[in-house]
Amino acid sequence: MKTLSLKNLQKTYFDPYAGSQVTAVHDVSLDVEQGEFVSVVGPSGCGKTTILNMIAGFIPYSGGEILLDGIAVNGPGPDRGVVFQSFALFPWKTVLDNVSFGPKIRGVPKAERDRIAREYLELAGLSHAADRYPNELSGGMQQRVGVVRALANNPAVLLMDEPFASVDAQTRMTLQEELTRIWQQRKPTVIFITHDVPEAVFLANRVVVLSKGRVLDQIKVDLPRPRVWDDLMQDETFKRLSSQVLQMVRSA
Amino acid sequence: MNLVLKSWGAYVRATKRWPIIATIVPFIPVVALWSVVANSGMFPRAFFPAPVDVARTFFALMYKGILPDYLQDSLIRLLTGAAIGVVLGIPLGLLIGSSKWAHRACWPILLFFQAIGDIAWLPILLIWFGFGLTTMTFVIVYTVLFPIVLNTVLGVESVHRDLARAAQSLGASRMRVLWEVTLPGALPNIITGLRNGLGYGWRALIAVEIIVGTSGIGFMMFDARRAGSTVEIILGMIVLGILWYIVDAWILAPIERATGQRWGLVTSS
Repeated sequence: MKTLSLKNLQKTYFDPYAGSQVTAVHDVSLDVEQGEFVSVVGPSGCGKTTILNMIAGFIPYSGGEILLDGIAVNGPGPDRGVVFQSFALFPWKTVLDNVSFGPKIRGVPKAERDRIAREYLELAGLSHAADRYPNELSGGMQQRVGVVRALANNPAVLLMDEPFASVDAQTRMTLQEELTRIWQQRKPTVIFITHDVPEAVFLANRVVVLSKGRVLDQIKVDLPRPRVWDDLMQDETFKRLSSQVLQMVRSA
Repeated sequence: MNLVLKSWGAYVRATKRWPIIATIVPFIPVVALWSVVANSGMFPRAFFPAPVDVARTFFALMYKGILPDYLQDSLIRLLTGAAIGVVLGIPLGLLIGSSKWAHRACWPILLFFQAIGDIAWLPILLIWFGFGLTTMTFVIVYTVLFPIVLNTVLGVESVHRDLARAAQSLGASRMRVLWEVTLPGALPNIITGLRNGLGYGWRALIAVEIIVGTSGIGFMMFDARRAGSTVEIILGMIVLGILWYIVDAWILAPIERATGQRWGLVTSS
């Protein structure tokens, strides 16, 4: 069953300095199944973040359609959870209050939303940090909070915009493994934007390659799960898929 | 040598336990020097009074109830002005900070009126409202308003765009974003604005009391000049300094620490 569907999506905007229209997204069509993990890769400037921002409702689209469970997307909403590269945790709220923010907005009573938040914190191994403030956590821990904050609100689709780009390499690999584990447990629908090809292949069921505001190609990833780096780094299929995607991105 | 180190250690430990000591001790040589000069006979005592004279006048005025009354008048004027300034300034700052159009429309006007100093309004205000409370309140509100508005705008603009987006995609409405994200995000700046505003307002108040007043610390000092009472003038100056120190160190600075530094928005020194 498809959850999210982009039909001939287009984005042009007026550049007041150049005095002309600029096209960031030419024509993108994409269907995402319920419970699917889709990675979107492409060189910088290919329009991948613009597409994510349009799905999230942060910026309007100029043409085409975005349908979520058959309903056109208009502005941001709790059915589309977002994980940001900048983490975007509320610095004045504790970890627990960050994670329970979505349920709080929905009007869930305090005891119940704290229970939900604690359950998700445990999922990410963060129970001990519930009462800390974000600035007291490492980057990796902050982004774990960012992921479960979005998940705790039970969105129809989880949008992730280069979420692991600003943490160190070792932490990134741990976070990727944890994300695949959480995905297997909860099966959220995920759109994961990245420019890191091995990351895209490691996480996804399907990798979408973008180029100059168009879909260049799509590749199915049928690697077995659970996926861990120790196994996959030696895996022939993983290596073949990665180099295949990498070549497409480089020629894009 | 050992004795010097030991007493230094005792001093540091004492200031740690009672921070007030660290505030008072630096004034001891200042007051001592003042005392020596006043007692040396270099100037007539009526022209350059000694610390004891000022202290004596302080107790006399406290006893007669004049100083407490004047202090109360000045503080109530400042607080009224500050309260009105906050009520007007924060919403205005939030509006200008969060709307591109409001910013474009209001910013140049804001800077223009900020440049017209508070005291520069006095001549026209005296014609419009006369020598009274309205004129005084207007000047204080005017003085307090600008630092609050400008700092609130700064605070709103310093809130990362992704924070508002995160709140929105967790389901928050625009009003909810304002309340849950914009306001707390701007709070450290708002408090800085309040702190500056009160500081300027306090100075403006004294100036206005000198010209307009019938009571208050500023009035007391100016009235003393007419009587040639240097003791009361100096007493007024000292009261101003002490009072501001109390407001800043005991009220404003703790609030600032409790918000910004706790959240890591302001790095503690």
